[in-house]
Parts: sequence; structure tokens; C-alpha cells
Amino acid sequence: MKSNHKFEAMLSLLILLSFAGVVCLSRLMDARRRDIVATPSEEQLYLKGATAKRLSLAFNGLAADWYWMRSLQYVGGKVVKYQDTHPEQAQLDDLGALDLRLLPSLLRVATTLDPQFMAPYEYAAMILPTFSRDEAISLLHYGIEQNPAAWRLYQHLGYIYWQSHDYSKASETYSAGAKLPGAPRWMAEMSARTAAEGGSRRAAREMYQHLYDESNDDQVKQLLERRLMQVDSFDERDRIRRALENYAARSGRCAGSWREVASQLQTLQLRLDPVTGAPLDPSGTPYVLTKKGCDVDLDLNSRVPYR
Amino acid sequence: MYIYPVFRPTRTIARNTFREAVRDRVLYNLVFFALLLIGGAIFLGELSGGQEAKVIVDLGLSATLLFGVFIAIFVGVGLVYKEIERRTLYAILSKPVGRGEFLAGKYLGLCLTLLVNVLVMGAGVSLALAYVAGGWNPLVLRIWPSILLIYLELSVITGVALLFSSFSTPALSALLTFLVFIIGHLSADLKSFAASLGGTTARWFFRGLYYLLPNFSHYSFITPAAHGYVPSFAELIMALLYAGVYVIVLLSAATLIFSRRNFK
Repeated sequence: MKSNHKFEAMLSLLILLSFAGVVCLSRLMDARRRDIVATPSEEQLYLKGATAKRLSLAFNGLAADWYWMRSLQYVGGKVVKYQDTHPEQAQLDDLGALDLRLLPSLLRVATTLDPQFMAPYEYAAMILPTFSRDEAISLLHYGIEQNPAAWRLYQHLGYIYWQSHDYSKASETYSAGAKLPGAPRWMAEMSARTAAEGGSRRAAREMYQHLYDESNDDQVKQLLERRLMQVDSFDERDRIRRALENYAARSGRCAGSWREVASQLQTLQLRLDPVTGAPLDPSGTPYVLTKKGCDVDLDLNSRVPYR
Repeated sequence: MYIYPVFRPTRTIARNTFREAVRDRVLYNLVFFALLLIGGAIFLGELSGGQEAKVIVDLGLSATLLFGVFIAIFVGVGLVYKEIERRTLYAILSKPVGRGEFLAGKYLGLCLTLLVNVLVMGAGVSLALAYVAGGWNPLVLRIWPSILLIYLELSVITGVALLFSSFSTPALSALLTFLVFIIGHLSADLKSFAASLGGTTARWFFRGLYYLLPNFSHYSFITPAAHGYVPSFAELIMALLYAGVYVIVLLSAATLIFSRRNFK
């Protein structure tokens, strides 16, 4: 009986010690795993799109979803890593600093597996141009080849050309898309607008607004929302600047604080900060006076994109 | 219901095969796992950047096909073998039941089982779509022609499994049937491979193989279904005819082999 108790106690001790060993080993393995995981994430993809399609048998749609989600995770992971080491936020339409070298291949495989899958084309149009414009254009051309009746792809391709200030090609692309059955009337209007006004704010606002209305992707919608805020902010800053110039002309000096130009700002129908009287930008952050009160600019904490 | 006496034994065997399959717990596990996957697609969809419905359809219908293939293969290859092992085949064949009728009954019984499973899994996908949409989503109905195509593919695979099981062991039959499933989805490559060959004999051989093996690419409609596309009526009828004719070939071949087997 006594020896039985002793045996049980020893067994319990062994279990406890083994568990402690398991915990230590798990921690060690987790630490090693992080290193291993970090390396292959940048390795080139083993499979080309056509091979992946062949191997996926009847499950090519599912494989495309997997590559699509992997693209999102890849970008998301890079953004998180960037924000961990940098004070500023990474913006979805300016990810050049993130070294997203795998993204074009991931999106290419996703669209080869499922050429009718529109989300990767849209994502490519929004994200790739900042660091791989040719890839973005090539992917969109492939999409149009596979989906000749999809006017939205023309909209995205036109956007890429418009972003790179190639207004004539943007106009041509919108015009080609406008001729497709089911294309909305504003496609033809966008074609005319980009041809006539190129990079004007009105063209930009319409461009972003239509993309916003058509998108189902929350991330893309957020990006376009910020771009729309930026265009609005440009207009607001022009109006505030004029008010500041008028004040300087009348008083012979620039404004020392927003309170001094409060009456002029009220006539501009801007939202004002109730405490400081500073006009609020479209994201709700107060504008700041610069150049000793002679000019206006965005606050560094504003959600409105600076560039 | 009056049934022409010739079909009565087939009907009885089919009914018993269905009952036996329903009692089989493995089958429940497979269906449960498929439904679990379909449910999981709802959560996976949240990682897809606004593509929830597509992910649910892709994952749901792929699970329906894959688990349907598993059921067709693993239940299909045991249909005849089990009867021989248990020696119940002797009792059946001692009655006025032809070997062809026996095989047809077994085949129809498993097809009925698969029909019920596919309907349950399809309903699961539809419910998941409605849940994610928070109400009505056109895909809830638009996926059903694709589910019909999946069922037709499964009925051909069942026939293949039955054919192999009529002369081979369950393990080998399962392996061969699974290979036919894979080759059936790659048959378009077989055709282009045949066209690329220089030698006439090799070209004819591979072309012959292309026509001989089932072409499952006619039944691959999961990806377009996820985009809301529906196969045309003509496509569905052709697929139905192809499956019907192919199953007749398979069952006839199985009957031919099975009728020559000596069980003494």
C-alpha cells in the first residue's frame, strides 16, 4: 500500500515535470518558428497560376479564395509590421515602403485560378500602382481579356492611367468601358471629364466617388473615403487661405489665432472647433495655422492624406 | 405503388442499401464534417475582404463534392465486397434475382443515399448564404443547378467504384476510383497532350483515353456558381445525358464482369 502511494506520488511528479518540460519546449519552438515563418513569406511562389489551376481540379474557386485571402494577410502582416516600427500609419494607396514583392504574384495566381473573381483586380488597381504600375496594368488587361463584358475592369484600368497622369489613355479606357452593355452613363462622362480636365479636383472627386459607390471591399472603401476627404480638404483650405489673405490685407498682419478670423470662417460655412474656433477638416481634426498665421495646413494627426 | 415485376428485386435491394448506408455512422460523420466546414466558411468569409458569399459557395460546394466523392468511393467499393464477405450474396442470388439486378439495386441505393446527403449539404450552403446576407441572397437559389451537376458527377463516380469493386479488392478499387476522379478533371489536358504528340499511335491512344475516361470538367461549375452564373438548360440536359449514358456503360461492364465471377 505504501509503495503504491510512493509510486503515485512519483508519477504525479513526473507528470508535473513533464508538463513543465512541454511548456519550455513549446516556448522554445515558438521562438524558433517565428524565425522560420519570417523567411519563406518572401519566397517566390512555387506554383505558377496555370499549374495551380491544373492541380486544383474542380476546386479552383476555392484555391483562388485561398490565394486572395493570403494576399490580404500578406499586406495586412506587412502593414502591422511597418506600424510596429514606424510612428506614422501605413496608407493602403502608398505602400511602396512595405516591400510587397509577392503581392503581384499572389493576385496573378488568384485571378488565373478564377478569372471572374473581381476583387483581386480592384485590389490590384488600388494598391499595385504605387510600386508596380506595369504589373497592375498587365493584370487589369488580363482581366479584361477574360471578362470582356466587365465594365468595372475598364473603370479600374482607367483609374490606374488617371493616377499616373496619363489622361488620354484614362479617357480612352473609360470610353471603351462606356460602350459595354450595362455600363453606367457616368463612364462616358468620366471619359469626357478626364480628357478635358485631366487632374482637376472635380474629375478626382467623381473618380473616387464612383469607385467608392461600386466597391464592396471595406479597406478599399476606407481608402477612397480618405481620398474624397482629401479633395474636400483641398477646397476647404483654398477657402480658408482666401479668408486669411483678406484678413491680412485688412489688418496689415497675419492672424495670431483662429479666433481673430472667426467671423470670416463662419461665412465659409465650415465646421468649427467649439473651444478654439479652429475650422475642422473633413475627418474632424482642427486645421492648423502655419507661416505665422498666413497659411493653413492639415494637423499631423489628421486622417486626411497629406499627399 | 405498382412496379413492373422485373424492377421489384432492384427496388428492394436499393431500399436495403439505402437503409444500410443510413445506419452507417461513418456516413453521418462525413456529412457532419461537411456541414461543419460549410459553417466554418461563414467565419472564413470574414477574412476575405467583402467576399463572404463567394467563399461560402466555393468552400461549401467544394466540401459537398469532396465529401460526396469520399462517400461514393468508400461506400461504393464495399457494396459488393461486403455481401461476398458476409456471404449474404449467396442468399440473395439463390432467389430469383439476376446479378445485373443486384448491381443496379446496389447502385441505385447508394445514389439515393448520395442524393439525400447532397441535398442536406446544399441546404447547409443555402442557409449559410442567407445567414451571411442577413436575409435573401440570389445565390441561395442560383447554386442549385451547380449542386445538380455535383450530384451527377457523384453518380458517375459511384458507377466507377461499383465497376472496380465487381472484380477487385476494396482498397485497390478505392485507389483506382480516386485516380479516375482526378484524371476525369484533367481530361482536357489529356486531349491537348494527345494533340501535341508526334506519333500517330500515341496520339490515337491518348485521344481514345480521353473519350474512354469520364470527363468531369462538364460538371465543374462551382467557381462560376460562386459568381452567380447558372448553367444553361442545354448544358444541364447534356450533362444529364452524358452521366446517364456513362452510368449505363459502367453498370453494363460491371454486370458483365460480375456475371462471370465464380463464387463457389
